[in-house]
Amino acid sequence: MRSRTDSHMRLFTKRLIAVVTALSMAQMASVSFAQETLITTGQIAATQSSAPGSHQARIAALLDRPELQAKLLERGVDIDEARMRVAALSDDEARVLAERIDTLPAGGVDVLGALLVVFIVLLITDILGYTKVFSFTRPMK
Amino acid sequence: MSFLIFVLRVWRPISSLVGRLFFALICLAGCTPSQTIALRDSPPTIAQRIELAQTAFFPQEAFHCGPAALASALSTSGISVHPEQLAPQLYLPERRGSLQVEMLAAARRNGALPYQIDPTITSLLAEVEGGNPVIVLQNLAFSWAPRWHYSVVIGYDLPRQQLILRSGQTRRLLVSLRTFEHTWKRSGFWAIVVAAPGQIPVTANERDYIEAALAFENVAHAWQAQEVFAAAADRWPRNLLAWMGTGNNAFLRHDWRAAEHAFRRAAILAPGSAAPLNNLALTLAEQDRIDEAVETARKAVELAGEFESISQATLKNLLDERTIRARE
Repeated sequence: MRSRTDSHMRLFTKRLIAVVTALSMAQMASVSFAQETLITTGQIAATQSSAPGSHQARIAALLDRPELQAKLLERGVDIDEARMRVAALSDDEARVLAERIDTLPAGGVDVLGALLVVFIVLLITDILGYTKVFSFTRPMK
Repeated sequence: MSFLIFVLRVWRPISSLVGRLFFALICLAGCTPSQTIALRDSPPTIAQRIELAQTAFFPQEAFHCGPAALASALSTSGISVHPEQLAPQLYLPERRGSLQVEMLAAARRNGALPYQIDPTITSLLAEVEGGNPVIVLQNLAFSWAPRWHYSVVIGYDLPRQQLILRSGQTRRLLVSLRTFEHTWKRSGFWAIVVAAPGQIPVTANERDYIEAALAFENVAHAWQAQEVFAAAADRWPRNLLAWMGTGNNAFLRHDWRAAEHAFRRAAILAPGSAAPLNNLALTLAEQDRIDEAVETARKAVELAGEFESISQATLKNLLDERTIRARE
């Protein structure tokens, strides 16, 4: 009795898998038929751009992305995040970042920290007699 | 006296820096930068005072002024996200900060179109007047000892020559235009707005907006990209990419009618290009208008050019499809 239920179940599961597979294949077929030859907005933009060698630039950008991803990892970014961060950049942005990740401005300062730096610098210049901002400083002779 | 000699010896290697600093201080005290002067001499014809008071405020934590500024600006575009969620997307631990291009990328990932405005105070004020908070990069210290900081301009007061900022730990920071220009100039006047899809920034120009839309398209959902391009097509109806972008993203969403309309407009604008006809042919096929589709694909192949091989592939696929359908 039990084995019969089992075999029914198995048959049902098999049929279900067959139907699902057939449906998903039909879906895949309909997607590939149309989308594989759809000309993308980016492709049209590339033909419009007057910059010579934009094709080479695109190839270079493809190489820049894995390099940039590795650089983000080295600089403390999580591996999955690094992949998504690179994907969200345009080709030009990815190239610039891959080249200059350590020299581009990194905004992160707390305003108070910056004010403290200015305060110390002014204090020193006061002491040197270049400025007179604070009442409590006396320039050195 | 010996102490003075010691101090001088210590300072000698960087004495040139002290000289520059001295100049900078004199300048900070006395000079008014050029844009502020121009603005004072001929005030723009905009509202005298604006404050986008509804802009969310997130007090900056540690070095996270980038995530705080972005979350604040996104709130006005109806995108509710906390700096803590943004930090993994744009904070770079080793640099203890966030880079400008990653501010753009993170805005895209959260469904907003980042647009870099022109490097002028008048553009900045125009965006604020139009309801868009502006994210700016400032260097709060000196060019030789930078302290990079992101803040959000949310208002201004022309008669008082002041800006209102969401900055760091301060919800409502008042800064004189003069001081602001000094700090902003050192970043090359970098400023962005993050627009909700379909909203075109007040000062946007056609070329830069389309470029921003192309970068957005690669990251965004098709419906968002469709709205971005559709707004462009509405504003600049002679722009081919605006119509192609609208059509392509409508196509991806199976919005066949919108796609067909857009590709037909594009075909009129670029009668020599195979691209609009190729994509139109696919759209017609999706609507079961297979004969029309084959005819359109043939025209695309005749135009040849850059997309010759892809148009030929489309035609072949459509002919095969027609044969299959005829058999059924």
